[in-house]
Amino acid sequence: MKRNVAIIGGGQTYHAARRHDVDEPEMVNEAVRAALKDARMTIDEIDLVILGNMEFFEGTHMTDCWLVHGMGAYGKQGLKITTGGTVGATAVCAAAHHVASGLFDKVLCIGFEKQEEGDTGAILSGVANPLWGRSMAGAAVGYFAMMGSSYMAAWGAKEEHSAMVAVKARQNARRNKYAHLKLDITIEDALNSRMLAWPIRMLDMCPASNGACAMILADEKTAKSRSKKPVWIRATDTAHNEQFELDWRDVKTNRLIFSRACAGRLYRKLGITDPAKYFDVFEVYEPATWAELIWYEDLGLCGPGEGFRLIEQGRTNIDGPIPVNPSGGVLSTNCIGASAMLRVWEAALQIRGDAGEHQVPKDVRRALTTGYGGTNWTVMTALSKTLDD
Amino acid sequence: MTERVAIVGVAQTRFAPKRPDVNYGEMAYEVISRVLQDTGLALPDDIDNAISCSHDIWDGQTISDIGITDVIGGHLRAEEKMAMDGSTAVFYGAVGILSGEYSCSLLMAHTKMSQTNRNIVNNVAFDPIYTRMLGFDYTSAAALQARRYMYKYGITREDAARVVVKNLANAKRNPFAWQSGDLTVADVLSSPAVAPPLHKLDIAPDTDGAVALILASEERARKITDKPVWILGIGTCYDAHYLGDRDLSGVFALEKAAARAYAMAGIKNPRRSVDLAEVSDDFSYQELLWLEGLGFCDRGEGGRYTASGATALGGKLPVNPSGGVLSGVPANVAGLNRVAEAVLQLRGEAGDRQVRGANIAVAQGHSGFCGQHQCVVVLGN
Amino acid sequence: MATKDKEWISIPMTVDVPYRFAAGSYMTKCLTELRDSGKIYAVECPKCKRVQLPPRVVCAECHVKNERWVELPHEGTLVGFTIMYLPLTDPTTGKPHEPPFVYGSVRLDGATSVLDHMVEVEPDMDKVWVGMRCRLVLRPKDERIGDLSDIRYFEPLPGQKKPQS
Repeated sequence: MKRNVAIIGGGQTYHAARRHDVDEPEMVNEAVRAALKDARMTIDEIDLVILGNMEFFEGTHMTDCWLVHGMGAYGKQGLKITTGGTVGATAVCAAAHHVASGLFDKVLCIGFEKQEEGDTGAILSGVANPLWGRSMAGAAVGYFAMMGSSYMAAWGAKEEHSAMVAVKARQNARRNKYAHLKLDITIEDALNSRMLAWPIRMLDMCPASNGACAMILADEKTAKSRSKKPVWIRATDTAHNEQFELDWRDVKTNRLIFSRACAGRLYRKLGITDPAKYFDVFEVYEPATWAELIWYEDLGLCGPGEGFRLIEQGRTNIDGPIPVNPSGGVLSTNCIGASAMLRVWEAALQIRGDAGEHQVPKDVRRALTTGYGGTNWTVMTALSKTLDD
Repeated sequence: MTERVAIVGVAQTRFAPKRPDVNYGEMAYEVISRVLQDTGLALPDDIDNAISCSHDIWDGQTISDIGITDVIGGHLRAEEKMAMDGSTAVFYGAVGILSGEYSCSLLMAHTKMSQTNRNIVNNVAFDPIYTRMLGFDYTSAAALQARRYMYKYGITREDAARVVVKNLANAKRNPFAWQSGDLTVADVLSSPAVAPPLHKLDIAPDTDGAVALILASEERARKITDKPVWILGIGTCYDAHYLGDRDLSGVFALEKAAARAYAMAGIKNPRRSVDLAEVSDDFSYQELLWLEGLGFCDRGEGGRYTASGATALGGKLPVNPSGGVLSGVPANVAGLNRVAEAVLQLRGEAGDRQVRGANIAVAQGHSGFCGQHQCVVVLGN
Repeated sequence: MATKDKEWISIPMTVDVPYRFAAGSYMTKCLTELRDSGKIYAVECPKCKRVQLPPRVVCAECHVKNERWVELPHEGTLVGFTIMYLPLTDPTTGKPHEPPFVYGSVRLDGATSVLDHMVEVEPDMDKVWVGMRCRLVLRPKDERIGDLSDIRYFEPLPGQKKPQS
């Protein structure tokens, strides 16, 4: 990118299953106000506003047009992006590109979903092609169930391993005041939770949350003059995936798949070979427990088939050597349009040292985040504390 | 702009009321394969990223860029979808190239209006709590806008009908258009009333189709074509959502978007600098309103300006020589089609609809009812 | 502002958008063959030779047009499955599938792609396994309508037992 870009502010709502106290513009406005306050800025200073959201989840076409006042976009430049679960991260990339272009100095990006206002399961089944698979689509649960059964059959992992991920996420979430599912659960609780689609149980899946996240990105000059703790966006990369071949659940596949292709390109941009050592914290998009284990492998934090050993050894715990999702992750909060942006914002908070009770107990200088959506897509973002890191 | 971004290729489907022979992925493939062939570029190496414009609700698929990922070269690569009118894809594509992240980008917009019900899709764009249950759609909202504009400035139905007569006559020269003809003002006035003052011929018809376009950095563009069309200025702006919050006869968002685009292009007086315009005339009267918003004539003068013949194909500032959206261009595709037509004009490749001596063109698109979000693109050869 | 007694209004609404999807040229051939002759047709990429089901215009990996049609047998191998305990909504009808049921991915012999569908087997972990051989069961010819529901389900080939691990 032609100019350095920093995150100079951000904010999020308290995420919850029910938010009857606000309509969609009001909910988005909570996050926007929090971001502006964090950046010590007024909306008048913002040059352009980007919204990320998936219109079917609320049953409203062109949410950006309805939410224009809540977003603070009235009279301003702006646009809306819709790339599925990755959209919050795509909005961050888009904001970074706008700043890097030299045309805009301060860009506000927003991701939100008010999932209670639509039928999430039916909408996720609508991801399937209308003529091929939609009539018996298993929504996200069926997909991750096949991933879990494939992972266990291939590598000898047990249901206990997915339960460990479920527990880590919810225990971390208890330290995060904004998280939706703050559950004091044990491995036994996870293993005894209701079976949804073998081997996926209730506690193996993310919730349907309402919430929003907003961030303000700026050029280097603005960032250095206005922010005490700018967090720098060092590299981003996007990899989508073909429509009908869902290889992520085929854990032994030899084909190059989206997650590995994207990580490979991102690491080349950064010139790194050992991501587990290079990055101090990871925020990954794990809609289901098994997906987190596969992220470990696809990001190169361990070898193929070793992901479940990392969780078993506690290496990805908040105080472990490779902390993953200290925020509680998507398993604790999933407001789809915001989820991928929350990964970036939570990583930025870790780098700033502002994550409060879920702050990783070590010096955090570099972070990696992933988004996940569509028929297997990802957007990855690498952040750092200074431009020298 | 310190660096320049060029449009190096365009392709359009032949627009039609209904394309029963293709799904939207196959329809997109028609224009993607053609624009690649025309520019001599190939996937995956020559294209850095892809941007598509469509809406899940029109496509009937959640995250509907899934349906075009294969054909747009998105597999394992960067692909993004914007839920905006296609004109904004040009804005966003140009930003991506100026950022230094990409040097050659493939843009595509598609919609099959025939596969669902326009009124219902439009209705869902109204907020669910306050206005949706009134049963609004874009046409009924446009009728309010038309009435307010006519009342405030003394614009008549005849003034708006002249836009239809001009554009459908122009469309006869455009092989991609499907609605065209030698109409009279009386024909337009006597077409069936839909939402007075809007009658059938005042309203762009339901259409299926797609448009693809390739953007490149200056360095790449020079290698790809000897007829690059440069993006000189871009600007967007949001107006308020609720009709009651807006001055419906006004052009608040368009004026701001245009001012931003003109400033970037260094255009002080668009009346003098601009040779032709392609505007999104979803409804006849909107062409008049948008001419005012773009600064081509004074407020309230759109009717008289058009009646003077200034916007005709041989006029001082030809507007919609292609036939415009009224000749049949799908929702969301409309703005990208405006840009594509302007590019053909600036390359001198517009065939029978060619405007002679065209050097600077303006393309305009809008998203949301009554033009809530506006996008202006200034192009030069 | 919010107190326990505070009343919040929320408005129920069904957004019902009707669609009629054009199958397009590839799926039209596939679905008419399925309906009229009970055959499963896929396309083979001229470059990488992947046999792709459902058939589609472009091989996403090679960026070339698919033009060669391949008939696939009705038998294949279960490569992944789940037992669904959720009454998932069928978006094409708005009605739920009654749980529990087995839902699996089957790779028809010779295909690169898998086909996801119901598997007509008891929802019991001892009766279904990865590697199980399956075959398609179609609707009777005179009841077929030319969409994917013409395939009723997969059923296990007779005489198999779950391998002991």
